[in-house]
Amino acid sequence: MTTRAFRQLHLPKGLGLNLVVLLVLVLLVAAPLLTILMQTLDPDRIGAWRDVLASPLSPNLFWRPAANTMILGFGVAIGCILIGGFLAWLVVMTDMPYRGLIGFLATLPFMIPSFATALAWGTVFRNGRVGGGGGLLEGIGINVPDALAWGMIPTMIVLIAHYYALAFTVIAAALATVNGDLVEAAQMTGASRKRVLFGIVLPVVMPAIIAGGSLCFAAAVSNFAAPALLGLPVRMQTLSTRLFGMIEIGQVERGYVLAILLIVISAVFLAFGNRILSGRRSFATISGKGGRARRFALGGARLPLTAIALLICLLTTIMPIILLIAASLAPMASALFSDWTLHFWIGATDPAFARGQAGVLNNPQLLRALALTMGLGAVVALIANVIGILIAVALTRHRLRGISEAVSQLSFLPMLLPGIAFGAAYIALYGAPIGPLPALYGTSTLLSLALTAAMLPFAVQTGRATVAQISGDIDEAARLTGAGFFRRIGAITLPLASRGLIASLLLCFVNVISDLAIVVLLYTPTTPLLSVLSYRYASDGFHQFANAVTLVILAISTLAAGLAALLRGRNRPWLSS
Amino acid sequence: MITLDNLGKTFGTAMAVQDVSLSVPEGAFLVLLGPSGCGKTTILRMLAGLEHPTAGVIRFDDKIIADAARGFTLEPGRRDAGLVFQSYALWPHMSVAGNVAWPLRVAGLSRDEQRARVAEALEMLGVAGLAARYPGEISGGQQQRVAIARMIAPRPKVLLFDEPLSNLDATLRVEMRTELLRVHRATKATAVYVTHDQIEAMTMATHVAVLNGGRVEQFDTPERLLSDPASAFVARFIGTPPANLIPVQDGAWFGTLPCPALPGANGHGMVRAEDLMMADAPGPDAVAAQLVEVVPMAGRRLVTGMVQGQRLTAVTDAAHPIPADLHFRLPPTPSAVFDAEGRRLS
Repeated sequence: MTTRAFRQLHLPKGLGLNLVVLLVLVLLVAAPLLTILMQTLDPDRIGAWRDVLASPLSPNLFWRPAANTMILGFGVAIGCILIGGFLAWLVVMTDMPYRGLIGFLATLPFMIPSFATALAWGTVFRNGRVGGGGGLLEGIGINVPDALAWGMIPTMIVLIAHYYALAFTVIAAALATVNGDLVEAAQMTGASRKRVLFGIVLPVVMPAIIAGGSLCFAAAVSNFAAPALLGLPVRMQTLSTRLFGMIEIGQVERGYVLAILLIVISAVFLAFGNRILSGRRSFATISGKGGRARRFALGGARLPLTAIALLICLLTTIMPIILLIAASLAPMASALFSDWTLHFWIGATDPAFARGQAGVLNNPQLLRALALTMGLGAVVALIANVIGILIAVALTRHRLRGISEAVSQLSFLPMLLPGIAFGAAYIALYGAPIGPLPALYGTSTLLSLALTAAMLPFAVQTGRATVAQISGDIDEAARLTGAGFFRRIGAITLPLASRGLIASLLLCFVNVISDLAIVVLLYTPTTPLLSVLSYRYASDGFHQFANAVTLVILAISTLAAGLAALLRGRNRPWLSS
Repeated sequence: MITLDNLGKTFGTAMAVQDVSLSVPEGAFLVLLGPSGCGKTTILRMLAGLEHPTAGVIRFDDKIIADAARGFTLEPGRRDAGLVFQSYALWPHMSVAGNVAWPLRVAGLSRDEQRARVAEALEMLGVAGLAARYPGEISGGQQQRVAIARMIAPRPKVLLFDEPLSNLDATLRVEMRTELLRVHRATKATAVYVTHDQIEAMTMATHVAVLNGGRVEQFDTPERLLSDPASAFVARFIGTPPANLIPVQDGAWFGTLPCPALPGANGHGMVRAEDLMMADAPGPDAVAAQLVEVVPMAGRRLVTGMVQGQRLTAVTDAAHPIPADLHFRLPPTPSAVFDAEGRRLS
């Protein structure tokens, strides 16, 4: 028998691992999506498509919410590009003072859950139209028009304040690659300042601007918290709130159809952005050495521009937190800074106060939610990262034609999926018993599965970095010393990768505990979660409790995110001069 | 012709360039040579108009293009000069042809003229086949050629190069040196070329300004830099291998081997590698050395030894055996003598 024939008897190396991760991905990602699609195509239910798209109901079911969603998406994208781009330009290209601080602050709003920002908005701008007390402005005698208190405008502003950090990050990274040389090369030709700006600088960063815009667009159309808190009270529906409503009232097929349509809208724009960003004209494909950063002197505009930048950052980071703190202490949002009481935090049940609700820290349901949320965060972070590393190993060390492509695509697919649509898909698949397996609806297992799947793209990315440590030159250098596999893992790989791994675990944890969109459909009273509790309190008019619970989430996630940032070290290349 | 008169540049309190005066004729190839931080790139950027001098005057032919005393500087685009950046600075959103055409468009040339010039420049650099590609799709060497094509297309009278070869690998670098010289001859323009690589300077320059700490150490032809270095710095910087600078104390090599030609001198004596002989025993003019390395080179051999903590290199015949107990024999007179501050004495 020749060696060649002998080899043919063996299965390819790593086949087992590849098949296992593929199976996991099919169960976590592909199966729910296929199920939701198949269920709407079922002959008994296919009518839901007609109901949604072409029936007397469809303007209300789909077209008006879709129009609102698109307006919101484009408005937020444009707003984020303007604000994020403005700050990125100041931080990267000019001699503005406090660039480091502003560059740091501008990445923070994304860390604050969007329902926190939405609640903070309500604290100030709420008016009496939908019942309940007014906000701070009403309290000091200013009549807040409905347009500023509820509906499209406040939703859009809150989402811009939340997502401009995304645009900032992408545009700042792009501007940092426009080294001074590109501009000077243009100056050498005798081109005017205007021509250099429009002929060179803008076209070079345009891919990043478009990509940042499409990221913000996809994020805005997927967002649930802001339109739900600020739009629903005046019946402004977006696709995500409509989808939520349909499933809440039991019209699941229509909800599933809306989920599929929402996925398509968001994915189309994300794919468009990705394509632009990786196109052949992309700035990222060039990396020349040299080139000093030349900072544009702001001259007399320096102080006013700095003040504007600082104001934007403070209004979108610290201000919402201060407002939430005050609002969790004040009995009336209209008198935000008087009569402070700790009742909403630690008070006992008192029929004369807040309809007999106890303070959040005295509320057994909240304590249970706290425990469950933390536990869920920890478990999901752990499982997602373990799977992430396994997938990374399969992808980098044992590539198999066909299987690897599927694994890679499936593991990044959740990034394209709006959280609430993802939640709907999980109900479609695991909400009912599958053969002998019981229905998972209402269990924390279902929550963990859905959140794990949602965290996978992120975990795989970290996993790849970790595996690169294991298989690179560094490991080979250790092998040459004769150290065995486990010794190398203990002495080389773990010490190098541990900071990144722990940081990744922490960030997964933060994402899980501040998520609302995925869990809002999967949650039941037996599985209370902090974010859903906060949302429920807010929609029932118990704003102080909602604010207090949100602050608990914020405190935990800020601690975890801060720790992660410390562990990862600074990674903001555009700040180096 | 390019003329610099007492050119100076300070950044805040730091003196980047001080009192630089030199002049090269039209068609010359001037190399600004020196270690990093010597001010060579700052001078180049002042020639380009990207930096404004804080002292002195720059003239192209008889025309003043910058005069610090009057606070006058001509815009970069009106100097009839082109610059190749170290990073190439190709505009990533334009094709190769687009990159070369843009300066022509800014200059307001007709479309036909633009097309002809672009074709001519790409042809000259041998990259006509890449015209439709984007900078991100071509190799570093090709990017370099495109950057040069972009510079010459408007036919500038002054060609400026900022360490253009430093991002290329060794083979490409030699190839591009030849290419650059060909382009320079074909355009008949005056070239100013910044580098820290003395071999580039020696192979390409008609004139070299050796810079150190913002000042010109020596402005001369490549041959004269080798044969007649003006300072110890130049002597150490130039030559392959560079000359040996041997400490002299009270007229004796290393303070121990008296040299009759250097009565009472203190400083350094310059001994070229070809003037340093090997010996196998101590003597009145021979000093013990520890063998460090032997490099075969063009049928000869470079023998380097450590003497009292200093490297000395001799060139010998490849056939000449290396003594087991290596000594170097010093010549009766050094080729040049520098004082303790590095100034040329004789």
